[in-house]
Amino acid sequence: MENDNVVFRNGNPVLVAQPLTVVRARTSTGGGARVLATPPNQNPNSDESDACKASIIKVKDEPREFEDEAKSVTVAFQPPAAETVVECKTESDERRSMLAFDDFLKATNTKVASVDESLKSMEAESTIQMKVESSDVDVVFETQESVKSMEEVPNLNVVCDTQESVMAEPVKVEPVKVGPVKQPTLAEPVCAEKKTVCDDEVEVLKVVKGKEAVSDEVRVLKVVKKEVVEEKKIQIPNLEDGEFPVEPGWSLLGRKIEIATSTAKGVRRLVDNEIIYFDFPNPHTSYKFQWIVRVSTKRSGVVGRLPMEWAKSVIPLVQSGNVKVRGRCIATPYKLEMMQEIMLLVSFYVHHSVFSESVDTSWRLEACGNVNSAAYPLLTLLNMLEIEPYRKADFTPEEMKARKRVLKLDSDEVSVIPVNKRRKGVSEPLPATTEDEQALSESALNKLVGAAEVFDLEEKEAPKTLMCSLKPYQSQALYWMTKIEKGGDDENAERNLHPCWSAYNICNGRSIYVNIFTGEAAKKFPQATQMARGGILADAMGLGKTVMTIALILSNPGRLKSEDSDGESVYDNIFSAKRRNVDPSSNLEGGTLIVCPMALLGQWKDELETHSKPGSISIFVHYGGGRTSNPDLLLDYDVVLTTYGVLSASYKSERENSIYHRVQWYRVVLDEAHHIKSHKSQVAEAAIALSSHCRWCLTGTPLQNSLEDLFSLLSFLRVQPWCSWQWWTKLVQKPYEQGDQRALKLVKGILRTLMLRRTKETKDKEGRPILVLPPTDIQLIECEQSESERDFYDALFLRAKVQFEQYVAQGKVLNHYANILDLLMQLRRCCNHPFLVMSGSDTAKYADLSRLARKFLESHTESSDMCCESDAPQNAELNKLASNFLQNSASTSNPIQSRGYIDEVLGHIQKGESVECAICMESPDDPVFTPCAHQFCRECLFNCWGTSMGGKCPICRQILKKNDLIVLPSESPFKVDIENNLTESSKVSKLFDFLENSQKYSDEKSIVFSQWTSFFDLLENPLRRRGIGFLRFDGKLTQKQREKVLKEFNETKEKRVLLMSLKAGGVGLNLTAASNVFLMDPWWNPAVEEQAIMRIHRIGQKRRVTVRRFIVKGTVEDRLQQVQAKKQKMISGALTDDEVRTSRIQDLKMLFS
Amino acid sequence: MANSNLPRRIIKETQRLLSEPAPGISASPSEDNMRYFNVMILGPTQSPYEGGVFKLELFLPEEYPMAAPKVRFLTKIYHPNIDKLGRICLDILKDKWSPALQIRTVLLSIQALLSAPNPDDPLSENIAKHWKSNEAEAVETAKEWTRLYASGA
Repeated sequence: MENDNVVFRNGNPVLVAQPLTVVRARTSTGGGARVLATPPNQNPNSDESDACKASIIKVKDEPREFEDEAKSVTVAFQPPAAETVVECKTESDERRSMLAFDDFLKATNTKVASVDESLKSMEAESTIQMKVESSDVDVVFETQESVKSMEEVPNLNVVCDTQESVMAEPVKVEPVKVGPVKQPTLAEPVCAEKKTVCDDEVEVLKVVKGKEAVSDEVRVLKVVKKEVVEEKKIQIPNLEDGEFPVEPGWSLLGRKIEIATSTAKGVRRLVDNEIIYFDFPNPHTSYKFQWIVRVSTKRSGVVGRLPMEWAKSVIPLVQSGNVKVRGRCIATPYKLEMMQEIMLLVSFYVHHSVFSESVDTSWRLEACGNVNSAAYPLLTLLNMLEIEPYRKADFTPEEMKARKRVLKLDSDEVSVIPVNKRRKGVSEPLPATTEDEQALSESALNKLVGAAEVFDLEEKEAPKTLMCSLKPYQSQALYWMTKIEKGGDDENAERNLHPCWSAYNICNGRSIYVNIFTGEAAKKFPQATQMARGGILADAMGLGKTVMTIALILSNPGRLKSEDSDGESVYDNIFSAKRRNVDPSSNLEGGTLIVCPMALLGQWKDELETHSKPGSISIFVHYGGGRTSNPDLLLDYDVVLTTYGVLSASYKSERENSIYHRVQWYRVVLDEAHHIKSHKSQVAEAAIALSSHCRWCLTGTPLQNSLEDLFSLLSFLRVQPWCSWQWWTKLVQKPYEQGDQRALKLVKGILRTLMLRRTKETKDKEGRPILVLPPTDIQLIECEQSESERDFYDALFLRAKVQFEQYVAQGKVLNHYANILDLLMQLRRCCNHPFLVMSGSDTAKYADLSRLARKFLESHTESSDMCCESDAPQNAELNKLASNFLQNSASTSNPIQSRGYIDEVLGHIQKGESVECAICMESPDDPVFTPCAHQFCRECLFNCWGTSMGGKCPICRQILKKNDLIVLPSESPFKVDIENNLTESSKVSKLFDFLENSQKYSDEKSIVFSQWTSFFDLLENPLRRRGIGFLRFDGKLTQKQREKVLKEFNETKEKRVLLMSLKAGGVGLNLTAASNVFLMDPWWNPAVEEQAIMRIHRIGQKRRVTVRRFIVKGTVEDRLQQVQAKKQKMISGALTDDEVRTSRIQDLKMLFS
Repeated sequence: MANSNLPRRIIKETQRLLSEPAPGISASPSEDNMRYFNVMILGPTQSPYEGGVFKLELFLPEEYPMAAPKVRFLTKIYHPNIDKLGRICLDILKDKWSPALQIRTVLLSIQALLSAPNPDDPLSENIAKHWKSNEAEAVETAKEWTRLYASGA
């Protein structure tokens, strides 16, 4: 029946005062409260059961003199009158909850000042069976100075009668945990009521009972608090204007002047600096009063109230328990009138518990832009106090909500990337614009992500095991990469405030950080890139990303090496390799995994071998048939090379148990990382799922088509929060699509630390370009068609035009986009050589053109034979094929295919009709036949298998090996016998002129790019005839063959021409051996051509590079140039969906004009 | 997913589906996502689903055609190989997928599955049990469900 915080002194329980707390300050600074409980259970330890039984407690306010420290005022309570009965029914639920609430108030340090009708009403409503029969409490003030006016005494009495004021006890008093305990039921069931008489107001203090553990304990305590009045120098008694005590756990956030309205009047009602108390309603306050905050002083009681607006913003904060307000009046009038303005200086304190210990990077998005001010009061508070962040977050919820389209007129950055968003209505996309065709041009990319200023990067010495010297900018990259891999980049950290956090300076001069999305607060600096150990090395093509990566690998091959193992790394490696052999740790720690496109596998291996000191690192190429699935084997090597295809295939079949995913890599490097740009693709999932200490993306084009590409890279790098799709879309993707340039700003902010990108134009400290390459010389070669060629083209064009206009008339241009592009394709092929049209897919369609074709042939050669009927040699081939199929059928017990089916297939071949590939549904460019007589593109089939070694037939599921595949003789796609055909198109003649010239007068090597391998078929014979040695590189080649071809081309002196398909050779390859480039056909997008040129014009190139682009005048190619220019505009300029749509039709119209 | 990166194969397939639809099957791409198809399959004659119009959704994943389309019944159906979420137990949608298959062939296979329920390889254990223990009754339930949920409303 007593409380722990009552100390019994002289047989009288006395409330222990905590001088440090505000509340205490009121109740006890002046001395102490004297408490008498009836029946007074004097034993502090006996209580529990009694407490439960307790129903009526009498508080006797004894008229005892109290000696407070100030000794200024002694308040005595007259015994007979001061009898307060508090009825506590612990059994009653209402009571319980009431008490619990009180507890809550205590627990949360909420201070509720006294004297309020609202409390009265609360009392009534909540049916608290607590009667405060205190009407007869009399307080006699024995003030020495006796300045107190007598009228105040009745006033007091009234107050005593009706009020109880609830004051939360500060946490310090009892070990009650401070925290936003909001659920009343959680709180202690009972606490004591304490009547406090303070000067001219009565307060009821709820005293939290001591230990939380004693939960059933009901303690009711009557505390009669003796009045405590501080002695003041001023002539005003009871004036309270001292310093606010310092409370541990609370820090002052800021002060603000508020205006309250007075509800009392009188002379010297208020004095400057007098401490005022806020009387906050509690959640039980009736609706009517829930936003009323009164202010009172110890001396004068309630003096006024605060405006509702203020109350509305502050009450939730105070109720959260994490915020405390204190105030004093300033500029007080001598005579206070009713409804006069009272100026208050309000100090806001926050409890330390609002600061999270560790900076939370969990990136909850639910609260986004809708901060729960009760849980995270700081943001609201800071706004209220008008404290401006000294560093603003890069992105704010308000900005996100601001939907207005900040248009591009004022910013050239906004729409450098085409927005690939869903378009309502325009369902027909640009089908032929495959990925690379939409690629961003380098300049657009630069604009977007910027190129780094390299001066601020130090250089790091290349490891001794690196067998080539690094250029300064490469050493800088090495420094940068090493630094990132080490992590903990402090100086940088200061720069990289997390984009969602703002930094504030608060009163005491300290910095605090607030997450403006969640409202979370922290004292520690929230760093942006805590998670990412790695980044994007996005140097432009040709700057030697591979070498930089190799240098990185050599300088720190893996986890078992010391951080900087330049010196003895050779020995280290040997030992570590041994160690690994002996004890392959259970968690399978690996070295570096390099994932690259198939075409670059050999190049990586070569470069690794040539650039590293022999024996310094071990390399394992994990590719091809019969590859091991035992991860232990991979651990023996410092570097494991594989391809995206293999990676995604093994992830697809075995998920996390795949050989790559079971290994904990030290470092994973994705070369040409844009391969994972669609984040939903299997390959991206596979890459993202890899576990590794460090992660690197190498790509010259971190963004290829859309901003979304970047998301995938960030996911792989595990950059919080951007690897969460929610965050990405909400903060970047959507705003970007809405034309909000801040999205790009944010992207730049994200990339600033993550990405290193230099271009060839980047200058070093002295302002010199970081890389000096021989110049390129780009020439446009315009060809004039011969008359017969022109006739053929015109006929073809006319047909296409008729068809197109039909679509236009029907308004179905976009619906037939694919068809139209097909028409265009034929026209473009025709520009290269009319035969290409005839060899194309639907030869039958062009039967009516055969006359013109014949004419074309005749005009050039006598042996012009359209081989519409199969001739002898071809028949022989066919027979071979037939027997092949049949043999196959016969060799198995179940004939695979019927004779009839095979005949049909042979018939197709004979007639030159090509069957579409079942996988891409196009007529195969490079067809192969299976023994089961099914036809596919080679590329498609290998793709389906995931390897080029073998797999099931996609149609009949028969197991096939690569060697089983049957390839038609190369002539067969042509109905024209090109063997005996000398006809050359104007373009071809021009090309040969150049080639022959360079053969004769120089030793330069040349590369001929085309989109069509069939065009190369056409070129082969004439090249042979002219004695021009050549090599060919296209999708048909296996990886081994590719490597061989490239090696031969680099070394040979005879075969100085390389025919290369744009698709196969567009990326990654290093073709610096050549210095002449021939682009035989214009591509839709100049960026692709740029890519191709970069293969040659890159680091290591010693000669002047000559690029010749071939265009046939007055044809679709000519107009394609204009479209290219326009496309550039479309990519970099700002066009709305509608504009894009109409412009597409315009484009097409232009092509057919 | 951006439509502009739609592979030509999908465009071709879509065009063909629209121009020469398979009997009893209609499939049309969604306006805003060309990889998402709204599908309707008529219950095959002489099956418990005769007279029913079954709605399905079909989605072509990024890897398509190297990965199978994702198909699901939207209309409630009583069938041992289709669960209450509309998921379909069909080998070609899973391990037996081949890129030589198409949207059309997939839908035809599903139609065939309606004609020939296979309770030995069930997805809905209960329905399969029902089917095996009392086929006539199960068929009746299937008919009932067809009337209730798939009667074209």
